[in-house]
Amino acid sequence: MADSTGKFGVGGLHFGIPNRRQFFQLGAGAAAGWTLSGNAFAQSERPSNPPDKPRGQVIAALSQEPTVFHPLMPGIEVDQGIWWQVFSPLWFIEPDGKFVPDLAREVPTVENGGLSADGLIWKIKLRSDVKWHDGTAFTAEDVKFSLDLINNPDFRVRNRVGHSLVKDIKVVAPDEIHWRMEAPYSPYMSILSLTFIVPKHILEKVSDPNASPFHNAPVGTGPFRWAERVPGDHIQLNANTGYHGKGPYVERVVFKYIPDLTVLYTQFRTGQVDYTGLQGILPNFVQEAKTLKGRKIFVSSTSSVEHIAPNLEFGPFADRSVREALYLAINKQAIIDALNYGLPTQTESFVPQQAWSFQQGLPQHKYDPAKANALLDAAGWTRGSGGVREKGGVKLEFTNSTTSGNAVREQTQQLLIQDWRAIGAAMRVNNMPAAVIWGDFWQQSKFNSVLVSVNFMLGSDPDVTPRFGSGAIPAKGGRGYNTYQYKSEAADRLLADGARQFEIAQRKTTYGELQKLIRNDLAILPLFQGFIAEGVKEGLQGFRPNINTSINCWNIREWYWA
Amino acid sequence: MTAATLTSAQLAPGQAAWRRFRRHRLALAGAVIILVLVLGSAFGPYLLPFDDTYIDIMKRFAPPLSGAHILGTDELGRDVLARLMMGGRVSLSIGIVAMVIAMAVGIVVGAFAGFYGGVVGAVLMRLVDAVLCFPTIFLLLALAALTEPGLVTTTVLIAATAWMAVARVVEAQVRALREREFAVAALAFGSSNLRIMFRELVPNAIAPIMVAATLNVAKAILLESYVSYLGYGIQPPAASWGNMLNNAQIYLTSAPWLAIAPGVAITLAVTSFNFLGDGLRDALDPRMNIP
Amino acid sequence: MARYVVNRLGQAIMLLVIVSAIGFAILHMAPGGPLSQFAASAQMTQEDLDRVTRQLGLDRPLPIQYLDWFGRMLKGDWGKSYRDGEAVLSVISSHLGATLELMATATIIAVLLGCWIGILGALRRYSLFDTLATVGAMIALSIPTFWFGLVTIYVFSVKLGWLPAGNRETVGDGSFLDLLHHLIAPAMVLALVETAMWGRFMRSSMLEVINQDYIRTARAKGMPEWRILTVHALRNALLPMITVAGLQFPTLLGGALVAETVFTWPGMGRLFLDSIGYRDYPVVMGILMFSATMVLIGSLLADILYAVVDPRIRVG
Repeated sequence: MADSTGKFGVGGLHFGIPNRRQFFQLGAGAAAGWTLSGNAFAQSERPSNPPDKPRGQVIAALSQEPTVFHPLMPGIEVDQGIWWQVFSPLWFIEPDGKFVPDLAREVPTVENGGLSADGLIWKIKLRSDVKWHDGTAFTAEDVKFSLDLINNPDFRVRNRVGHSLVKDIKVVAPDEIHWRMEAPYSPYMSILSLTFIVPKHILEKVSDPNASPFHNAPVGTGPFRWAERVPGDHIQLNANTGYHGKGPYVERVVFKYIPDLTVLYTQFRTGQVDYTGLQGILPNFVQEAKTLKGRKIFVSSTSSVEHIAPNLEFGPFADRSVREALYLAINKQAIIDALNYGLPTQTESFVPQQAWSFQQGLPQHKYDPAKANALLDAAGWTRGSGGVREKGGVKLEFTNSTTSGNAVREQTQQLLIQDWRAIGAAMRVNNMPAAVIWGDFWQQSKFNSVLVSVNFMLGSDPDVTPRFGSGAIPAKGGRGYNTYQYKSEAADRLLADGARQFEIAQRKTTYGELQKLIRNDLAILPLFQGFIAEGVKEGLQGFRPNINTSINCWNIREWYWA
Repeated sequence: MTAATLTSAQLAPGQAAWRRFRRHRLALAGAVIILVLVLGSAFGPYLLPFDDTYIDIMKRFAPPLSGAHILGTDELGRDVLARLMMGGRVSLSIGIVAMVIAMAVGIVVGAFAGFYGGVVGAVLMRLVDAVLCFPTIFLLLALAALTEPGLVTTTVLIAATAWMAVARVVEAQVRALREREFAVAALAFGSSNLRIMFRELVPNAIAPIMVAATLNVAKAILLESYVSYLGYGIQPPAASWGNMLNNAQIYLTSAPWLAIAPGVAITLAVTSFNFLGDGLRDALDPRMNIP
Repeated sequence: MARYVVNRLGQAIMLLVIVSAIGFAILHMAPGGPLSQFAASAQMTQEDLDRVTRQLGLDRPLPIQYLDWFGRMLKGDWGKSYRDGEAVLSVISSHLGATLELMATATIIAVLLGCWIGILGALRRYSLFDTLATVGAMIALSIPTFWFGLVTIYVFSVKLGWLPAGNRETVGDGSFLDLLHHLIAPAMVLALVETAMWGRFMRSSMLEVINQDYIRTARAKGMPEWRILTVHALRNALLPMITVAGLQFPTLLGGALVAETVFTWPGMGRLFLDSIGYRDYPVVMGILMFSATMVLIGSLLADILYAVVDPRIRVG
């Protein structure tokens, strides 16, 4: 079984174990906080008192400009802000982890016959009352077309993880579609929750799937329809009164592009924008923002973990005592309390704390430079010239990189330089713009260390084989994102186990062990869990942060003015 | 008769120039301010009890005159005055070194182009014109994207955007002077081309060159501040007036002194150099022939 | 005359070619590429990135990419943005309006204010007004524009609340008054440097003219002073300004970039910064070529106008 799994490095999923009944319940329910999907039907509780007719407008500010409007092409997080309004997925995941059907009539499970017992045959019943924004009816043909398009080699798709396993798609009826997976793959349920369906009747006619009028005037089934875009300034979407779900309750959404976070906050303060989305409110303004009249501030966790990523093949970092000493010398409290104004929570794991797979009781960090010094002395790292330690001709000096222009991270680096100098480690800053740092520098492990925030979860699944598997090191020709160049047989074993286990309790144990191992090995130096501070004007109801979507304005269709 | 009672026409050119310069009060003021800034940046850090990179996270955002810190502390608790002085070292030296490089390249290119004329001159000046087509900032940003930021690259980049104007000025002067008597005479004496270029012609163009040099320092300091402000110039923890402004931006409303101090410093330095250049221009050629 | 124009045109075109080659080389030699931003979100594997690189043609040797781009540009196809797939020309033109608005307003303010200050300063040389104006102009030229912009925002938007803190218009509004309201601060900031320059040029030009013989003759003939000023002095003083105007364009464009950054003005300058950040090569090349063309046109027009107006130049 060569390539079909999409899993990197670790061999294909082995299905020797018979009991798969809970398999997809597992995948379906593996989103944050929830285990078994009980009620896979009705949409969750509506906020009370929304108006009967759409009323008013919402001005949402983003600090990066959405430029990709075809939801299957490579895009960044802010592009998702548009996709969630214009398009619909088959189902989506609520903040509490429940799967809720959107274009599908019900979320397929083994019980309702949507999934075969071995997880390979999928039969999805779709709604028959959905219309595209141009009035054409939505059918199963559109779903087939979307999946085929993703797997079309000429199409510049974002990625094919999971989709490449889908074969033999059959449109049984306008409202029912069947397909066969080549291998059972539990994260696929989550992946589909973030896959938006595109219209066949428009896209099948274009000559070039990568560039067409659709790319700049998208047509979807979502709660808002495309109105206009002024490049570099704003995008306007109007309410889709024929939306198949509840809502929308506002007439218009305008996504305004304000590249400077300070200006974004000022505009929020003066009331020119109603909602500050990505990247949110800068930590140093949050305190003041909370005191503003007529504004509500939400500080929510994201599933990313802010950490220092060491290149484990680089001289001093290969030595575990060095990593531990460096970790002991980090003044996490100062970074969290002073630089980030106490907003994030410290963490020891790469798994977000709200996830079911989060391991409690990992060894807690303590800021102890004296112990760090003792550790390094014992390990044979003696102080040389200028107070910099060395051992065997290798100096304890290295660079640390992050995206230039990120004020808080740059300040964190300054603090690290000073604290690490006290234990004899010389760190130098080597920052570069995003376009450079995330290229080969990161991918091919050309860095010494990077201060970065990463979402380790695959969808909401804790399978981190692409991050920590020894076959997933791109610099060594592997397939994945193991840019740390972490190699551990024990980890590989745990990863393989976790990928083929089905019982959730079992998986929890396995991934718990993995977290303990990674923490012990200090493959990464975790700092804190990611957070975002967003502001909403008072009177605007319905905002609900959702850790299972990558952007918190996923549900503007539920927003309304009280 | 003493020198003081001689009229301008009777003094040697150098002395006449100096007298004219002394009368230009703004230029004098500029010179004095520059001196203060340079001395302050060079020796000031030794006089202050605070180190410019020492982080005292508990004492962040202390306003000016609120304690031991005269100009307050910044977002990491570092002393602003110390950073201002160290930043001054960086910004002023970048300004001067970039000017020197730009002048050197510009003079050489301009001299060759002006002296040889013909195809060589045309090609060189076309190249100069081509690079001049880019608005300076556009060129600077494009080049900055190409390189790893730092002290050396920033200096070289700024010089790379400034040499063209110098080349133009020098080329025009050399071309005009080439025909003059002393050049022809030198040729007759058998001096080599290079000698004529750099011993005779260029020194006679010294007036506009000096003016251009002074004004270039001003421009260089401004450019450095802009490049560092955008994040492409001097990297932390080193301080420069430009990157201090960059760091101060998000705290404009809560800690405005962080932005005011470096901004005032830059304005003072650049204004002084500009006045100095103006004064030089008036002093060296009162007929205002210098472009 | 015609030969002069043709000659200069030919030189201009050659310059543009050189400019394009230099710009292309610089851009593509820069580290990183347009796909790095996706690598950050880690939704794409190295294979996906390689595949897209191939699909965009970025793995071909540089001279081939350049010739391909150049050939297409000659046919009018300036390429498509890597970010949203729009034609580069349409991307630029949609941002151009905002920048031109800013530049035009600033120029008008600068010309009117600067000429007034310059003329008065020349007429009342060394007076208090003149000294203040000179010092003021010098300081205006020395202030870092972006810092001035920040201070303006702090004073007028945050503290006083008189002016909006950036952007071109309030969303949903967009009336003329609203546009004007938003235009004030950035235009003022951009005009600062321009006013100072125009003031200085006007002053020295006026000074040169006033001391000429024909002015003294006119006075001796008994012509009223105001007539001397407007008909003779001003007209002759304004002539050299035409050249200056044409050559101001690059500085103005650079200044506009700064103003746009500080005031989040949706113009070409900000587009340039963003595109460099994303390594959106086609757009960056488009802007470089466009601005170089504008600069060349500006100086060409200045030269031609000057030759038309001053017959002495044509002969030489």
